[in-house]
Amino acid sequence: MRDEDTYADLTALFTAEDREQEAKPFVDQVMGRIRAQALMRKLLLAVSGLGGALLAASQLPKLLADSVGLDASLTTSILQAQEDVSALASANPLWLGIAAIVGLSLAAVATMERT
Amino acid sequence: MRTDPDLAADAARGSEAAFAELVRRHQGRVRGMSRRLTAASGDADDIAQATFLTAWQKIGTYAGGTFAAWISTICYREFLQVRRRQRPEIEFDETAEIIPFDRTMADTGDKMDLSRALDKLPEAQRICVTLCVAASLSHREAAEATGWPLGTIKSHVTRGVAALRKHLAADQVA
Repeated sequence: MRDEDTYADLTALFTAEDREQEAKPFVDQVMGRIRAQALMRKLLLAVSGLGGALLAASQLPKLLADSVGLDASLTTSILQAQEDVSALASANPLWLGIAAIVGLSLAAVATMERT
Repeated sequence: MRTDPDLAADAARGSEAAFAELVRRHQGRVRGMSRRLTAASGDADDIAQATFLTAWQKIGTYAGGTFAAWISTICYREFLQVRRRQRPEIEFDETAEIIPFDRTMADTGDKMDLSRALDKLPEAQRICVTLCVAASLSHREAAEATGWPLGTIKSHVTRGVAALRKHLAADQVA
């Protein structure tokens, strides 16, 4: 006789108790949280992608000026704007800290979440 | 009807419908297991939800075998995490169970007897009885889930079942 057979009656009692607990709201709650997590992940990936695209775009004028000869005044004004932004960020390190935390959080979430 | 491994394979490919079916099938077992392990229903549903969220994230690692054993192992680990955080606060709470009005007195009495009898067991026995008797894991599966030796599991289950029967009989006499 298997060990499990000696307590089949108790198992049946527990199973009956478990069956009473089954409820649709629980399934909906779990699936709702899964969908919310997936949505959040997509949002974070989109924000990360947008950040990366902006970063790449910020380098574009200089690249274009070097390679195809973009109008010098346009290049100068864009580069000046970039310098102003970085000077503003340097003046208040809090912004750099916030940017670092946001970046790290995005990286962590994107790494941990399943595809 | 589709088998658990089939549903798990679909869920691993991203099918939320397949995973929802797995949640529907195993919610009773997982919620019951959480409640019995914690002996306090306040944390039980949080653990049950965390179990399924972790299962969703790790469904790709499910390598066949009994899905019930796999999900029960995750549930046990979630319970351990919660217990590590809240150990000093865990104590038996007789008011923790909310009993719906539509149950018969006999049902409620049986359920309370079973819960009360289980709560009287020492923690190791309660864990082993919950895994092997209530969640129907084999002794070997319970040993893998807990990391305890097979002999220890068998011993706790045997003693736990005997004590559970004794408590249930005493409740019925009283």
